[in-house]
Amino acid sequence: MEILLQLIISGASLGMIYAIIAFGYQLTFATSGTLNFGQGEALMLGALVGLSLAGSVHGGPYLNYWLMIPLVVIFGCFQGAFVEWIAVRPAIKIKSEFGWIMSTIALSIIFKNVAENIWGKDDLTFPSPLSDEPFTIFGANVQPMQVVVVVGALLMMAAVEIFNRKSIYGKAVVATSNDRDAAGLMGINTSAVITFSYALSSATAAFAGVLVAPLTLTGATMGASLGLKAFAVAIIGGLTSGVGAIVGGLILGVAEELTGYYVASGYKEVPGLVLLLLVLAIKPAGLFGKVAIKKV
Amino acid sequence: MKLQAIVAAITIGWAMTSMAAEPIKIGVSGPFTGGSAPMGVSMRDGVKLAVAEINAKGGVLGRQIQLVERDEEAKNERGVQVAQELINKEKVVATVGFINTGVALASQRFYEEAKIPVINNVATGTAVTKQFTDQPDNYVFRNAANDTIQSSMIVDQAIVKQKFTKVAIMADTTNYGQLGRADLEKALAAKGITAVASEKFNLKDVDMTAQLLRAKQAGAQVILTYSYGPELAQLANGMQKLGWKVPMIGSWTLSMSNFIDNAGKNGEGAKMPQTFFQDSTTPKRKAFVDSYLKAYNPPAGRIPSPVSAAQGYDSVYLLAAAIKQAGSTDGPAVRAALESLKEKVDGVVTTYDKPFTHDDHEAIKPGMAVFGQVSNGRVVAAQ
Repeated sequence: MEILLQLIISGASLGMIYAIIAFGYQLTFATSGTLNFGQGEALMLGALVGLSLAGSVHGGPYLNYWLMIPLVVIFGCFQGAFVEWIAVRPAIKIKSEFGWIMSTIALSIIFKNVAENIWGKDDLTFPSPLSDEPFTIFGANVQPMQVVVVVGALLMMAAVEIFNRKSIYGKAVVATSNDRDAAGLMGINTSAVITFSYALSSATAAFAGVLVAPLTLTGATMGASLGLKAFAVAIIGGLTSGVGAIVGGLILGVAEELTGYYVASGYKEVPGLVLLLLVLAIKPAGLFGKVAIKKV
Repeated sequence: MKLQAIVAAITIGWAMTSMAAEPIKIGVSGPFTGGSAPMGVSMRDGVKLAVAEINAKGGVLGRQIQLVERDEEAKNERGVQVAQELINKEKVVATVGFINTGVALASQRFYEEAKIPVINNVATGTAVTKQFTDQPDNYVFRNAANDTIQSSMIVDQAIVKQKFTKVAIMADTTNYGQLGRADLEKALAAKGITAVASEKFNLKDVDMTAQLLRAKQAGAQVILTYSYGPELAQLANGMQKLGWKVPMIGSWTLSMSNFIDNAGKNGEGAKMPQTFFQDSTTPKRKAFVDSYLKAYNPPAGRIPSPVSAAQGYDSVYLLAAAIKQAGSTDGPAVRAALESLKEKVDGVVTTYDKPFTHDDHEAIKPGMAVFGQVSNGRVVAAQ
């Protein structure tokens, strides 16, 4: 029983990381129908910028961990807006169906190479703001930082949802997601909304980066596998549902841990991919996604 | 006619002098970036140090040694490209290097085909020197403690010295990890023991909970490891997360700086086979460490991987002795000389007395490696 609980806790904290990156995929998909395939790199850049501010790699620490977070989120906003401006806007303008796929992937490779030049190719340790000593809940060990990851991810997603539902700017975002052309006719600057959604999406990824960094190692290559897993989560949960991202993330994280323990550690990645194939075959819009009907 | 003869004579004469002064090109292939970089960079710097010393004394056969360094990033496919470039474009006389067993196995056949000797100074996979034993002549040599030696040392330490009976094996999914796991299982079987858990993980995995829990539930008293620095650190940190602490004994990669730094206090006490320590007492070793620190000034005065530096240094002296004995830079002649070195080569790991024969290409024999232990962020001899 304790074992099961331990596996679920580890899986859940891993799954929440997947969820918050997947949430970033959804934000841009909702407004523009495009995705930033460099979401994992946005996370990596956030973590490394955070490390420069709160760690000692560039002569720091300049700020403590908690004060560094807002700066990293702001950095994420700019990074996301940059991606939209360079890679996505030209593709939308010429109504290219797939141009943004290649250009966001190309940008992500450039970001990785830039990071390798600034921070080097080695994995670095991120100083943990809280004690590493685990505490015990019903016989399972939990690190304080794992709790911060879960709570932080949920808060971030809740904040974005509340903003979208309550504020006038948020309503513009929702209107653009529902029907971009109609929103444009109503006087909403849809192009600004799309830029904004990219900024928000990279900001959540950067935030996820500084959350996960103290639990893992930080380095230019940390984003690739996380970004890919989160993409699977976004597909499993559905690209149009915030709840889908959370549930999808939890399912994938916990399934990995359970398979690793009860089957064999070599098969850890298999259930997530099987689930992905099943969802695509049976419910292509995702577990919680709305079916979009494309009128021709 | 007369003018032509003069021009020809001058050209030939010129070509002769430039031939005489032409340096001996030696390739250096290793990962200078990424997770294996502490080993690759230390090895390269050890090699450079030895070459600088030899060149200062007039070189070999009256010619200077020139190094051609290439970063293969610990990737098998890059290693193959580097091998072809070094052989066909740079026309090296021999190559030293290889940190990663997988890269060595993928690249060596080009050297074998071109009849150019390779000295592996770091890669430890048992198969590395056995790849071409079916050929009439094997061009692959090694001066690193291979995994057969290391795995039996690890098992000996865990089972005989520390009297553990339940062991778990943790190995990554690379060639290095899985070949090492097979060697460990063989060495355990020789002691009549089967591991209670044998777990795998991928490079860059961020969570080792499932693997460690399996080992914990199986009642493991010690974990035996075969992987690279960052992932070994994840293992040590993962044990901390679970509040479970058993000793770590593993292959020599537990001495890598990126394990020690990333694991911090969780890595204290980890034990691994070593052929060389930075805090050495013999004058020869001390002089080597001093000149390394002076030339490369590594952070915190710590050589990222002292073993790699020392073995890199020795590999050049072994090669230089063979070229000198062969009196030429011809591949087969150098290989033959390596297999019958008359002169004793005084290295920093040991003094090599007839290190290689036609059938034995391992310069490091059982007994030359001892146990090291992580203590206060450095590797010291285990008591």
